[in-house]
Order: sequence, then structure tokens, then C-alpha cells
Amino acid sequence: MTGPATKPFELARLRLGIDVGGTNTDAVLMEGARVVGAVKRGTSNDIAQGVIEAVSALLAETKINPSQVARVMIGTTQFVNAFLQRRNLAITAALRISLPKSDGVPPMVCWPDDLIEKTGHHTFMTGGGAFYSGKDYRSFDEEAVAQAAHQLRDEGVQSLAISSVFAPIRPDLEERAEAIVASIAPDIAVTKSADLGGIGLVDRENAAIINASLVPFARGVVASMQGALASMGFGIKPLYSQNDGTLISGERVQAYPILTCAAGPTNSIRGAGFLTGAQDAIVLDIGGTTTDIGFLSKGFPRETSSANFIGGVRTNFRMPDVLSIAMGGGSRVTGEIGSLAIGPESVGLHLATQALVFGGSTTTATDVAVASGMVRLGDPSLVRSLRADTVQSAIQLMREKVEIAIDQMRSSAKPVDVILVGGGSILIGDELRGAARLLRPEHAGVANAVGAAIAQVSGRIDKLYDYEKGGREDALDRAKKDAIAKAVSAGAVEETVEIIDIEELPMTHMQTSAVQVRVNAVGELG
Amino acid sequence: MANWGEVGQITVKLIQTPDDIRDMARGAVFLGAGGGGDPQIGELFLHNQLTHGRTPNVVTADALDDDAFVISIAGIGAPTVLVEYLVSETHLLDLLKKAEAFFGKTIDALISAEIGGANSMFPLALSALTGLPVVDADGMGRAFPHLEMTTFSVYGAKATPAIVTDELGNIVTLDVLTDRLAEETLRPVVGALGAMVFSAIYPMSGKFVKDHAVHGSVSQSLAIGRCIRQGREASEDVFATLLEYLNRPVDDRHAILLFDGKVIDVSHETRDGWHWGKVTLKPLDNGPDEFEIEIQNEYIIARKNGQPAALVPELITVLDRETAEPLTGEMLRYGLRVKVLGYSSAPIMRRPECLEVWGPKAFGLDMEFKPIVA
Repeated sequence: MTGPATKPFELARLRLGIDVGGTNTDAVLMEGARVVGAVKRGTSNDIAQGVIEAVSALLAETKINPSQVARVMIGTTQFVNAFLQRRNLAITAALRISLPKSDGVPPMVCWPDDLIEKTGHHTFMTGGGAFYSGKDYRSFDEEAVAQAAHQLRDEGVQSLAISSVFAPIRPDLEERAEAIVASIAPDIAVTKSADLGGIGLVDRENAAIINASLVPFARGVVASMQGALASMGFGIKPLYSQNDGTLISGERVQAYPILTCAAGPTNSIRGAGFLTGAQDAIVLDIGGTTTDIGFLSKGFPRETSSANFIGGVRTNFRMPDVLSIAMGGGSRVTGEIGSLAIGPESVGLHLATQALVFGGSTTTATDVAVASGMVRLGDPSLVRSLRADTVQSAIQLMREKVEIAIDQMRSSAKPVDVILVGGGSILIGDELRGAARLLRPEHAGVANAVGAAIAQVSGRIDKLYDYEKGGREDALDRAKKDAIAKAVSAGAVEETVEIIDIEELPMTHMQTSAVQVRVNAVGELG
Repeated sequence: MANWGEVGQITVKLIQTPDDIRDMARGAVFLGAGGGGDPQIGELFLHNQLTHGRTPNVVTADALDDDAFVISIAGIGAPTVLVEYLVSETHLLDLLKKAEAFFGKTIDALISAEIGGANSMFPLALSALTGLPVVDADGMGRAFPHLEMTTFSVYGAKATPAIVTDELGNIVTLDVLTDRLAEETLRPVVGALGAMVFSAIYPMSGKFVKDHAVHGSVSQSLAIGRCIRQGREASEDVFATLLEYLNRPVDDRHAILLFDGKVIDVSHETRDGWHWGKVTLKPLDNGPDEFEIEIQNEYIIARKNGQPAALVPELITVLDRETAEPLTGEMLRYGLRVKVLGYSSAPIMRRPECLEVWGPKAFGLDMEFKPIVA
């Protein structure tokens, strides 16, 4: 995936970017390309409270009032974290319109047991579905869907994922099922697979089920965010970052929370690029427990092309290619010289009480950094007892771990710029093998929030076209126009919309002209 | 350094756990030599059997009666629709019934025609479902694009008479003189039926399978997949472990590292319904060496600095450089860091009459076959 050609950031209106992470909530105010102010606070259990604290502090510091802010953007990992941690998940059902095909691989085969414990295992397969050509291979079985809907209602299912064979080219089948369910069990939230994914039934269905499990939670979170901002005097509704770094509305997040699952790393990588002006670089986000290494290519994160697993479930979302290693500011340092280990255990968000420099009793990576003189934090006298050779060894070990990870992520032997973001960047000295320049931008700690604030708006198409019917040029033309229209309806200024990615996948093994076409268009938010 | 005892004694007869299924599929991609399709759907099918307490009954060919009736079950069609249609248990059970009616005899055992790729998994899953034995063997020990490219066909057991069915109740039977013709006849048929069907093909006797199949394919696929996983888990040099395993002196097969580097160019084209392509690799330190693999569904020839380094039917496999996970041709993209291994094909595959069918000349390469040597 490539970003637009280097463009000066034109829009000068005030934008508020908020990143609600697992540990911290960051808020940043930007005017055009300039960071006007930035604040970091802890994320509260009641997410809205943390947002109010961070934003109020930022407004006070910058002396800006809400009526002056043109746009509010929120990036959050709340939904993916909930799924990963198996909490706040709804009783979820999966309905697949596919029979007589597919019954050898029912929905949720291979789902982890602890997930199924939380969502329940309510799966249904009913008659109907389309060939690759779009024609029905079996008529839609309304009775079976109605029966399933009654059962769902009786079993207390809260949220339903509907999938069907070749749904991307026959979305009407899923729509029909949705209408039947709505008439019998109107309180059940419905996710349709065609709204989420491309070709690949299992991966697309999985994405729909993951999404369905998060919808009730998402409805609450978005409403409370909206409420929190309104209570501070914001008249506008916030937009939310999605996986590719572009923005969607709160309503869309309530219906499709899974679209935000990779927004954290995406915003961090984009924000890092923006703060340094770099378009191509490795981004090292060193946190409390882990270091995420991403790759910025032409202004956007490089995407992984292999299948993705979210919480152990396989999906086909295009996600940023991020390598995570277990090393962060709170990582425990254990062992002696010759057998030193950094992590994987970490004191995490208890760093401020458990690290030696803060009066605690655990030797952490932060303590080692302070002891070596790389940074001044807490009370340096509290780490004087650490042996000099142990400290040097630990520093060297941390450096090597990062260097290996960088080497894995880069795509050529040429030295590449490395951008350090995240609070844990104090762990790294001034040199890294493989790095051309080591960049530590101002406001690196709130790179995520910056990424949210600078985001653009996108429109995406992923459909099968028959090249024989009208020719390849015509099909691509239609796909591009549809992608641009989608971007515009999402809020993009039409003149700024560009096609940034086109992919054509011909069908192998058959002498047919059916081609799967993916087009991504991106534009500036008006 | 691997422990010979452990490597040589990998128990491979049983597929009983999710790890076993993953190992089998991993090995199938390795043996697929770039092609064969993604075994994911078959894996899920087999996994579903496992969750219901059913596992495949894998037997060596010598367990078969001479007059046993053995048949191959294979999906025929486009992988891009297999990922949507998935596979139907009801359909495959019905296919077996219809096959028995068509051939006029009870099926005694199943066999995979092609162990490389997706079609390795379906006979295993069907064995789990029905209890029918599945033979530890196949028709090529790898993947190939055409129906006549099996030892079955070379030694006299054509793919037809055969029966092809879909989930809707359509049945097509055919009996044609050559396997190439069978494939060409089937292509429009498969298209008309929605681009994916399942078939019962290569009807054979137990004796024929004993004499002419490529033996040990299932256990080998499982062992290779397991070797990679265990090597990875032990944090050893997984490639050293794998090469040691492949080079163990039990058969006339050798494995060598052909290249270590990254992908700098991939080109794909669909022509006549097949996948043609070329992959170019360079060393990680951007040194002057250049490595190239030509694809005709599978990896057919690897060249280093213009000189042939491995030739069909020898297996060329591309693996992720860090994890040693085998990669299909479709997975290759710019920037991927990989190691390329060359591995001897099964000895039966290199006999003169077999080389006529799948040697370099059969793929349009004007050169004599040269085996991989230690």
C-alpha cells in the first residue's frame, strides 16, 4: 500500500487528536502542521473520565476553548483489547447462508476455547448462496433463517454475525437474512460480513463474528465518549481512526468496532512519520511492556499480506506489519552477567511505584537506563548499587534485541531512518546498527494522538469483476469511481481524493475473465 | 546440533492433535513446491473432524489386499472459489456412495493423488469421517499442474473412468483415452458447475498402489512439518535441523540450501488457466548474486546467476527465513526474506519413463534433467 505523493499539509484549522490506550490517554491540539499542545494522562476504567481529564488539561494549558476546535479525532485500542482480553464481549451467534455448500467447515471451527466460553457457540447454517458468477446455486431458505432467529431470541443472544457464500458480490442475501431477524428479534444487533471483508468466507465470517461480539460494548463506549465531549462544551461529534489510519464516524464505529482494531499501531507509525517529516522509516514504539516495530513506507504503514490473527482468530483484514518484542520500560531485568534477561515480564503500568528509581524493589529496564547515565528519572541514587558491568551488559542486550528486530523489518540492507516514539525510548542510546538517522521528535510521547489528528478519509472497493463483459479498463474505471465516491461520502474533499492502491487478482485454474479488484482512495477531510 | 535419535524417530503414523494437523499442512505446502494451493480449508475440515473425536486412519500400502479397490478423492477447480464454497461433508459422503455405484464396487481405501498442497487434506478428513483407511502414499510426492503427471498414470492407471460431483446433486462421469484429455474435458465442465467440484479419480487395485505409488508421502509431509515446528520451538537453527532431517541416509534423497536472500521482484500471469510467474531474489547484503525461480503453477526451475541450480521434478521450496514456514507462490511478495531449498524428488519420479512426462522438456525447458546431489 502506498500513500499519496508528498503533499504540504494545507488545512490550518484546529484539530484535537485523542488516543485512548490501554494504559494512557493522550490528547494533542494541532493547527495545520504545528503541535499547539500535548497532554498525557492515565486511562481510567470509565474511559470517558480519562478523556475528560486529558482534554480539559490540554484546553487549560493551551487556553483554547472547545468552540475553536474544528475537528475531534479519536484513536482507540479499547475494542481490540477487549477482544484480546476476553472482556465486555456479547453473547454472539453466527448465521451462515451457504447450504448445501460448506457444512464440512462450520462457523467458529478453530476458535480458542476461552473465547467461545465468553461468546457462546451459537452457530447456524441455512440454505442459499451464490456461485462466483453471482447466480444463486440454491434458493434462499427463509424458513430456516426465521427458525434460527426464534432460537437466537430464546437463547438470549445479543449480537449476530451473518455471512454468506460470495457475499461481496451478492450482499442482498445477507440483507434478506438481516430483515428476517429484525422482524423476529429486533433487539439483536446484526453485523453483515459483506460490510467488512473481501473474498475468503472463513476469514470474512470470522471478522463479522469478532465484530458482532464487540458491538454492544462499542455502542456504550462511543456514546460515553460523545457524552464526555459534549459535557466539555464540544458541539461537534468526534471521528474515529480505523485500521488504515483514515477516519470514520462514531455511528460507523458503533456498527463496526473491528475497523478500529489496528488503529493504535497505524496512528503511532503515521504520527511518527508526520512529526519527523520522514516518509520512509522504521518506527520504534517502545512502551512499558512491549516494543512495536513498524515500517513507514511513502507515508503509510507497510501492511502485512499474510493472514492475520486477532486474539487467535484468523481474519483477512489488512493490518500494519508490526513486529512486537517483549521489551519495554518496565521490563524486569533478571539474572547475572552471562545469563542476563530483559523481560518478558514487566511491571507495566506500575512502573512509577515498583521501579528502583521510584522507590520500589524491582530492577527494571528503566533503572538500568538511569544507572548508565542515559537518562535522569526518579532518584538516581537508588540504583547506585547496580553493578557497572551488569548495567553495561543490560544496555547492550536491549540494543541488540532492537537491532535484530530492525533488521527483520527492513526491506533492504541500506541503513534506514529510525524514529523513536513511546515513553520507553529512553532505553536506547544514540546509535543503532542499521539506522541511518535516529530521530527523536518532539511530542514523540503522543505520536498516536498526532496520528489520529492528521488522519485522512478513505473509500475502499473489493469486488469481483468480469473483464470479458466490458473490458479491463472499464471495470477498473468503475471500481475507481466507486472508491472515490465512497471517500467523498465519508467526508473527503473531492479535489483531494487520490487512488493510492489498485490490486487485481485473476482467477487461476479457470479460463474465465473473473478478476478480484481492490481499490483504495484517500482524501483530506473537509 | 539436532539429536539424531529424536529426529530419526519422529512418530508420524498418527494425526491426532491440532498440532499434527498443522504439521501435516505445513509439510504439504513444503512438498507443494510452490503450488498445490493453500491447505487451509482442508485443514479446517480435518480439524472439525478432530473436535468431534474422529481422526484419520493412515495405513501403509502393504496393509492393503492386492485386490482392494483404492480411489483418489480430489478437488478440481479454482482456489479462489474454494475459499468461498469451502467443502461439504455431506457432499463428500455422497460422492463416495455415487463412486461405489459408478464403479460397481466397495471402496476399500482412499489415496491422495497429490500430496503437495490442498488436496492432501481431503482424503485424510474423509478417512476421519468414514473410518476408511487412507494410504500413506500419493501419486507424485509433490504437486504438479496436470492430471497425467502422476505415477498412477505413467504406470497404467489413468485418472478416468472417473466421477465428478457437486453439492447440488449434479453428477458427471467420464472415461477418456488420456489424462490430458480428461483435464481438458473437465475444464468447461467444472466452469459450468461453478468452478469447483470434487472427484473420485484414478481407480486402482491394492497391488497397483503397492507397486507404483510414491510411498510414505503422508508420513513424510507430517514429519517435515513437525521437524520445522519442533526446530522452531527449540530455538535451534531450524534450517540446520530441517536439512539434517531431509538428508538422513535412509533413501536416495538430498536437500541443499540453494539461496538465502530476499525477494526483489515477483511477476504473475494467468495464461490458459494456469499460473505463470517468475520470482527474482538477491542476497540480503545486496551482493552481486542473482537467483531466479520460474513458476508454472509450481516452481519449475531455479537459476543462480543464470545457471540452473535445481530442475523439475526436484522440489524447489521457498521458506520464510526466520520461521522456516514454507511459502506458496501466491504468498511471495517484494521484500520477503527467504531461504530456498532444493530437495530430491522421490526416486521413482526420476525414472526415464517418468521424466518423459514431467522432466524439464515437458515444461518447455530445453535441457536434460540433472538431479540434486549431496
